[in-house]
Amino acid sequence: MKTALQIALGVIAAIGGFVDIGDIVFNAQAGASVGYPALWAVPVGVLGIMVFAEMSGRIVAVAKKPNFVLVKERYGPRLSTFTLVASLVLTVLTLGAELGGLGFVLNYFFDVSVSFFVLIAVIATAAAIYFLPFGGLERIFGYMGLALFVFFAASIKLDPDWGEIGRGFVPEAHGAAVYWYFVIGLIAAALMPYEIYFYSSGAVEEGWDERDMKVNRANAFLGFGLGGILAVSILVASTQVLKPAGITPDSVGTVALVAEVPYGELGLILAFVGILFAVGGATIDTAFSAAYNLAQHQGWKWGKRFKLLDEPRFTLSLAGFLLAGFAIAQTGVDPIELTEYAVIFSIPVLPLTYLPILLVGGDRAVMGRYANGLLSRVLGWAYFALICLLAIAAPVLFVWTNGGS
Amino acid sequence: MPRARSTVLALLTAALACGGCGGAMQPDELSRSIGTLESAAAEGALLGADVDRDRTKATFARAHARDLGDVVDHEAEKLQDASANGLVAERKAAAVDLAGRISEALGQIQTAPGSEREGRSAASDLTRYGNRAGKLAEGL
Repeated sequence: MKTALQIALGVIAAIGGFVDIGDIVFNAQAGASVGYPALWAVPVGVLGIMVFAEMSGRIVAVAKKPNFVLVKERYGPRLSTFTLVASLVLTVLTLGAELGGLGFVLNYFFDVSVSFFVLIAVIATAAAIYFLPFGGLERIFGYMGLALFVFFAASIKLDPDWGEIGRGFVPEAHGAAVYWYFVIGLIAAALMPYEIYFYSSGAVEEGWDERDMKVNRANAFLGFGLGGILAVSILVASTQVLKPAGITPDSVGTVALVAEVPYGELGLILAFVGILFAVGGATIDTAFSAAYNLAQHQGWKWGKRFKLLDEPRFTLSLAGFLLAGFAIAQTGVDPIELTEYAVIFSIPVLPLTYLPILLVGGDRAVMGRYANGLLSRVLGWAYFALICLLAIAAPVLFVWTNGGS
Repeated sequence: MPRARSTVLALLTAALACGGCGGAMQPDELSRSIGTLESAAAEGALLGADVDRDRTKATFARAHARDLGDVVDHEAEKLQDASANGLVAERKAAAVDLAGRISEALGQIQTAPGSEREGRSAASDLTRYGNRAGKLAEGL
């Protein structure tokens, strides 16, 4: 029970990572466009992030090194700077999209103006980061995001065809480019680089050591597993509601409508509460991830575990990234499109993010008896090969399918 | 070098063709546009039905109907600006007209998100327009 309550880091990393504003709509689009046959892609992606999250948490527990420190140590200065710049660009774009998404969700509740609520969202996020301890941030945004389980309940209440759902979890050969576009997007959404940067730095914030191996495994498997269930639920419920009606979801409002169909106003409110905290969690993930990466690359003192005022460079960079995200959101760019571009174009950077984890995780000189076992090694390298394949296929499919349309 | 240049040229040509830059509107482009209208009408019908049965929040119904209306208006502008020939031109004109009707019905929900009567009327109209859009895209 105690361990179950300690999985907030995994929950917020997972929810913020693959049930963020873009992915919520992307999952719904996959359901509305391809339907159940795309389902198998979610567990494939989720298992991948579980493997790498467990490995990176284990590295923190033994070597006390978060992921960007590994990047810096294993790559030369040029490649680590390239990895930093690429990850910062993608993370800050995603941060802007999340803030824009928060503006939309709040506007559905109060109908004033999206840009006004983007301002409120950035102020609330800054206040939460400043006043709440790291554990408080994890618990509030992680657990409140679980209101998204309304989609799980909705998918059951809508009386799905369980046989079709079961067949959806078996990969099938398919000729349609749109099918592969969604499959690759769903796998990639689970492996977004900022999740792993946030997770490993969060483990340092929580002070994990060798006694926390069980907590790490629980976070990696239960936390990310819960995120995966939510992603599957949105896809299944959207297949039931949107696909037969011929609706292509382009906004978060359409996704909330999926919960309204079976449960009326209560479903709508629960969906928006879940989306609000999940997207809020993603905002926290991305803001911290950008600041952690920069600080770790530059060798600055970093972390929420110390007083923010005692670490001015880290705190200023955190504030700067929030402001940059705010500026992006205020341009009025569509947050959904922005995150979809970020997901697809983050894929080529994925190998650079995950390779150091594999190398250090398997290094007995660093990890001692906690080095990767046979299963971790096989799964890790198999997923690394898959990530390299995705890195080539994703941009090609994006152009070929006109963004899945 | 000449080979590299011709590859770049071929890629640019393909990119321009994919982007649909210039020239008359093609049937598949019109079909995608009509698909957007059909989707907005179907979604508006779902929203209108929930307004009718008092199963939604008025602020959400208003804001979401406005968003859908914006999508439809934008699509209508794109259709209006595109040049087309023959059957595509005929269907394009019908699609512009249909977009206007869909936008008007969505406007009903936006104006009176708490009125069950308006919601019912908009849902019924939008269902009809959605079906009409489906038929309009047939054979393109």
